[in-house]
This record gives sequence, structure tokens and C-alpha cells, in this order.
Amino acid sequence: MKQTETDTAVLDQRLAAWDRKELLNGCQAVAQGVRLADVDVISAYPIRPYTEVMDALSKLIADGKLDAEYIIADSEHSQFEIVKHASSVGARAFAGSSGTGWMYGFEALVVTATDRLPPLFLVGNRALDDPGAFGVEHNDAMALRDMGWLLCWATTAQEALEHVLIGYRVAEDSRVRMPMALAMDGAFLTHSQHMVQVPTEEAVARFLPRYDLGPRRLHPDNPISIAPQVNEDWVMELRRQNWEAARRAKGVIVQAYQEFNEIFGERYATPFFSEFMTDDAETVLIGVGAVAMPARTAVRRLREQGRKVGYIGLRWFRPFPTEELRECLSRFRAVGVLDRNFAHGSPDCGGIVLHDVRSCLYPLASRPAVVNFIGGLGGRDISIADCTRMLEITGKAAERAGDEETVTWIGLRE
Amino acid sequence: MIKRVEVNYRGIFQKSLGKYLGSDIVMIASRMGKVAFSNGRYSDSPERNGIPCKYFAFVAEDLSEEELEAECGAKLDIDEADVSVVVDDTMVKGVEPWGWHGVRPINEKVHEKGCLLVITRHQPEDLLKFIAKKPYPYRLATLEGDASLAGMWVFKDDLTRERVLGAIAAVDPGIISIEAVEAYLLDKTKDARRAGAAREAYEATLRRVRLVKPGEGINWSHPVPVLPKWHEFEDTGIAVPAVPRGFKLGPRGQGRNDRFKRGTTKTHRPVIRFDLCIECTLCWLECPDGCFDPTEDGLYDVNYEVCVGCHKCAEVCPEPECIVMVDELRFENDRSPWEHWVRDPQGYIRWAEEKKGKERVHFPVVTGTGREVREGTYVPPKLSGAETPA
Ligand code: SF4
Ligand code: SF4
Repeated sequence: MKQTETDTAVLDQRLAAWDRKELLNGCQAVAQGVRLADVDVISAYPIRPYTEVMDALSKLIADGKLDAEYIIADSEHSQFEIVKHASSVGARAFAGSSGTGWMYGFEALVVTATDRLPPLFLVGNRALDDPGAFGVEHNDAMALRDMGWLLCWATTAQEALEHVLIGYRVAEDSRVRMPMALAMDGAFLTHSQHMVQVPTEEAVARFLPRYDLGPRRLHPDNPISIAPQVNEDWVMELRRQNWEAARRAKGVIVQAYQEFNEIFGERYATPFFSEFMTDDAETVLIGVGAVAMPARTAVRRLREQGRKVGYIGLRWFRPFPTEELRECLSRFRAVGVLDRNFAHGSPDCGGIVLHDVRSCLYPLASRPAVVNFIGGLGGRDISIADCTRMLEITGKAAERAGDEETVTWIGLRE
Repeated sequence: MIKRVEVNYRGIFQKSLGKYLGSDIVMIASRMGKVAFSNGRYSDSPERNGIPCKYFAFVAEDLSEEELEAECGAKLDIDEADVSVVVDDTMVKGVEPWGWHGVRPINEKVHEKGCLLVITRHQPEDLLKFIAKKPYPYRLATLEGDASLAGMWVFKDDLTRERVLGAIAAVDPGIISIEAVEAYLLDKTKDARRAGAAREAYEATLRRVRLVKPGEGINWSHPVPVLPKWHEFEDTGIAVPAVPRGFKLGPRGQGRNDRFKRGTTKTHRPVIRFDLCIECTLCWLECPDGCFDPTEDGLYDVNYEVCVGCHKCAEVCPEPECIVMVDELRFENDRSPWEHWVRDPQGYIRWAEEKKGKERVHFPVVTGTGREVREGTYVPPKLSGAETPA
């Protein structure tokens, strides 16, 4: 098909949306996203791996590249309270943490959601102590799953930068107003240096409108009091509003990706999860985070041997893409769910993602077989060979011989 | 094909150097049209002073970035290295990043066609006195220079970075070429001196590559710990047995953790002239790692197995020339110096002075400004009659 002049204009515009390539690790990519989002207030308290984000931001401020209040808190709890309050006066606010630090600030995280404020938080996933471990495990971010938050994982440093912008856009939308947690695998993503494309400020301004709280903005010109004591008289109705917002968020997310693609080029085929070689697949693995890299490579190699396998990278965990994932997974004979987290004592003692995936499949008359893998805890690596093995176990489950284990541990010394 | 470079560096003091080398390799390889990325062995951090750490760079010509990352990015360590760079030559004695890993040979990852590239002023033969044997031949290259140690988070800009890039181009041009190194440094810094330093190191390294024959080196005596399976230890969590309480006078007399000695952390070790000691107790009190063992004659022996080389004892010792920090590579064992002294006081003093040599190395308090080398003064032995052997 011949390119029309309008097509060319659109392409030119998309090309102009990108400024330059820089060598950045995942944390520095997030800091670039925060700079481009022109964040007003940052609150910081160190914990590895998130620390590198606060370091990168303080450097951007020191270098005169970002104009923001940078407040060092005395703990994660204060840190999260600071951004909550900043957000309530109409400042675009950013904070982040990891592992047990994140858990320490949990009370403040919960009220940020019930106050319907939309700051963005980076969770550099880290194992929960004890004993001490720095490596990735998803339980820290997953703890938010029932709290009225938006929760999404980036797979690459590039995606991390872009999801700071997408995150603010969705969170601040007046139909949503929910806090946003952007999660990123500690080490494998936070601390790995890649060439990252950095968008221009102009293009970002076209995509991300100003943060406007409207009549809910706390300000001397608008004296209001928020979050009064309400007891049994209001809580049900407020929770219902949270519920509606979480449902509405899905439409807002879809729209945000559409506009992102329009401005920056076709970067995301689907908003909630990515599909890799799933077209005629019979067996798929679904996972969260940077494990996509070895998993997709395992899929590509098995495809070369003629095996019908695919990989699904679940990007958004809250709101959960119930209908979209149900429709997608209904096409396959077997689904292996990979959990880099634990939910001891839960149904089948499976992982957190397993439960949501199985539950979303339940209404289907004909459901794929579902098995679960627990792996990569505490930063243990998940190799290409591990992914191949998981795909093979999942493939066998499709035959429903009845002897398949629901949960298999991967990479365990056993 | 994937090329893997590991940079062995000392935690904190060389952190920026390690990271910059990783970034530079990625930038240079990218400019050459290759795919590359870089990361650090994450579990090494938070890096404690002197702890051996690693930074990696991965380069490929025929892979997508995703495949490269799948192969290399989701792993904590590498299986084999095309080039293992060592930016502090005392690490050739072995590296112990964590108590769970054991003391590992510096050339552990170097594969058959690979190269161990060491910044050193020692001869390759001297280095091989500490390096483990391998069943296959590999290359050992040396680049003349000192360990570039900076302070906390500080980078010491002494051209080590540029010189190592040049040396890597010399030992494996399949990773980065010297022309690309020079062009990158010129573009980035507009400073011909930096590109010149890389070129000079490149030329020098080409002349200093030695083939190490199979079996050349030493038998490695440190076992690699085997960690138990999940059902092989108590299911109530990890409990590490306590260091037995107790204390007796004499060498190794104090209770210490035998599981993680941390001796591979040091670039220098203290040499003590026991004859000059005024028994002030300061070394014993101030050593952050409790390395000094009081002896029955009122002196303080030092346990080199656990000394991390922090220089503190030498700083606090009030007597000139009594405690002096000396290049760790001048020592082949960790035996008690006090026992040597008691056995043969005069011989010990000769030994100590020979080890000390002329140069006294200090690291100024303002970190990142590098090291100061002064000339030492010779203090004649102060031996009482009792210490003079008959
Ligand atoms: S250098 Fe001295 S003070 Fe430091 S650890 Fe060694 S013996 Fe102790
Ligand atoms: S600090 Fe020096 S003089 Fe004092 S006890 Fe130690 S070695 Fe002797």
C-alpha cells in the first residue's frame, strides 16, 4: 500500500517523540520517567534495590535537570505519608521502596488508596526478610492486591520508563484516582544497564495532562477537610466507589495505551498483558516481570523444534484483566502459571497469580488445564532450561492423565 | 556468539570503576553495531570495604538484545568468561564474596580461549604462585599499574579506566576494538590524553600476554561449600552456630567465626615490629575486626586470616615504623608473626624489614584523592638481652 502524506506526517511525529538513546539501568530509567513526568514532590528513604532510583533522582535535581521538592524521610512510613499529603494538595508525587521497607510503610499505603490519591510508587521487588536477602520476590508488591491500588510490572528498563508516564496518566484520571505501584524485578531489571530510548518532553506533554484534583484539592483557597471519622455510616458507600473506580480503570488503561501508541509508535499491541508466539499455541506459560526474557527464548527454541508453545507476560495485576485473559487463555489446552511469590496455605498452596488466573477461567465451559510453578524466590535465577522444563510439564498437563502435580517448585535444591 | 567480560573489583573502593568499565564496554560495542548490556553480581552488595565483587558486560553480534539478556541477564554469575579483569592484583589470592561461597580461584571462570587480565606490578610467574591450576591452557595478561582504590562511592580518575579498555581490546578484539575504544573516548571526553592512555595500554598488553600451561599454578586448597537441600536442615530457619565464647592468651586465642574469615578482602596487611611495640593496646582495641591476639609477653599478635587490611592499626599505632601496611602479594601464608618473632627475634626483624621495603602507602582521609607513597625510615632493632638468641 502506498504511504499517504498523512501517514508520513504521523510517522514523522512519532519519530520526533524520541529524543536520544542513553545507557540506563532500570532504576535510572524510572528516574528519567519521573523527570519527564515533571514530578513536583519526591520523598526518599533508602532500601536496596529502590535506593538507586532515589540516587538517580537526587542527581537529576542536583544537575538542574529536574525541579522538584526532594524530601528525605525518617522511615518508609513517613515517606509514604509525605507523598500522600503532597498528592492531596495537587502536587504530582513520587516515592518508592522494596521488600520489608515497603511493608513497614503499609498503613500509609492503605490510606493513600482509601483517600483516592494518585501518587506513583516504584517497588523494586525484593524478598521479605528474614533471613536477609536482596533478590527479587514479588510478595512485597503483591501485598497491595486487595487495597484499591493500580499494580503493574515492567519487563524492561524501556518499559519501566514508559510506565511511569502511563502510570501517572491512568492514576490521575478523574475516573480512576487510585495510587499506582510500578513494580520491577530487583537486580535483573533494577540494576542491569541497557540502551534506553528517552522520549522528548514535548511528546510527553502531549500524552500526560497536568494533574488536576479539582474540588478535592487541599489548598488555602479551597479549605476542606478530608478523611474525617465516618464509622458504619459511610464506609460501605466509599468502598463501593473504590470498587467502581477499579472497574473503570480498565477502560482508562486501554485508552492510555492507545494514545501512547499514537504518540510514540506502536509499542504495545495489548495493554494488560503481552503475548509471545501464542497464535496457534496449545501450551502457554504465563508469568510476571523479567522472567519474560528466558521464557520467550525457551519458547522460540521450542518453536524451532515445531512445538506449539507460547508465553504470556502479565503486565497489569490490578485491575486484573479478567475478561481479556479469560478470552485469551481459553484458546489453549494447558496453561502453566509461574509465580515468583508464595501464598502458603492458600488453595493448593499455590502462588498468588495462580489463584487469580484459575478464578478468571472458572466461568468457561471448557477450561484449559492449569498447573502452577513456584520459582525464582529470593533472587534465585530462572534459566532458559527451567522455562523449557516448565513448558514441558505444562504440555503434559494438557493430556489430563490425572497424575499431574498442581504445584511444582523450580530451581529448588531438592 | 556471546562474549562475556567480568571485572573483579574491590567493593566500595572500586565500585565506580567496575560499573564504568561495564558501561563503557556496552557503549563501545553498541557503537560497533553490536548488542550489549551490563550488570553487576547483585548479591555482592551492599558492598563492604574491600570485599571482592564483580561487574559484567555481555556483547554479541548475532543475537537480539532479548536473547542476549535471556542468556545472561537472568543469572547471578557467569559460567565462563572470555576476559576476567582483575583491577586489584591481590585478588589473585582468591575471592570470597559471601560466607556461603567459599574462597574461589580468581581464574575460576576463565575458559580455554579466555584471558585473565591483571593490573599489577608483579611478574606473571609471581602471580601464578597464588592462582589455581586449570586443566586447559589459557592466557594471562598483565597491565602495569596499581590497584586504583577510591573511597566510598568516589571514582578515582587516574586513567585506569581508559587503560583497562585498551587492554581488553588487546586481549580480545572480538569484544571491542582499539579503534572503537579510542573513538569513543575522544567523542566522550574530547581529551586526546585519554584515548592515548588506552592506545598505550593496548600496545603494552599485546606484548605482555603469556600462555598458562595446563596444570600450571597451585592446587586449590579451599573447598566450595555444598549447601543443603531444603529437607536436609532444620525447618525452623537458618541458625548459624555461635562463635564459641572464650579467650586465651596467644595466637588464635580469641573466639572467631571460622565460616567466613574475610581475609581475601585485603590489599595490604600490617607488618609489626614487635621490638618497637610499647604495649599501648591501641591496635588491639581499635581493630574493627578484632584481629589482634594478646600474648603472654604483653604483645599483640595479628591473625592474617581474618585481617581485612583496613589500615586502622597502622594509623593508630603511636610508634613510628612499628605497624606498617605492606602489599598483600608479598606474603605466601597467614602464619602467626608473633611465633616467628619469639622463635627468632633477629631473623623476624630482618624478615619484617624485607617485607616492608622502602615505600609506605597511605590513603588520605579525603577519599578519592588516591594514595600517598612516602619513603619509610629504618629504625634499628631494640632488642633486650632476653630476645637476643644465644
Ligand atoms: S588492617 Fe589492622 S586494624 Fe584493619 S583489620 Fe587488619 S589488623 Fe585489624
Ligand atoms: S598500637 Fe603499636 S605500640 Fe600499641 S600495642 Fe599495638 S603494636 Fe604495640
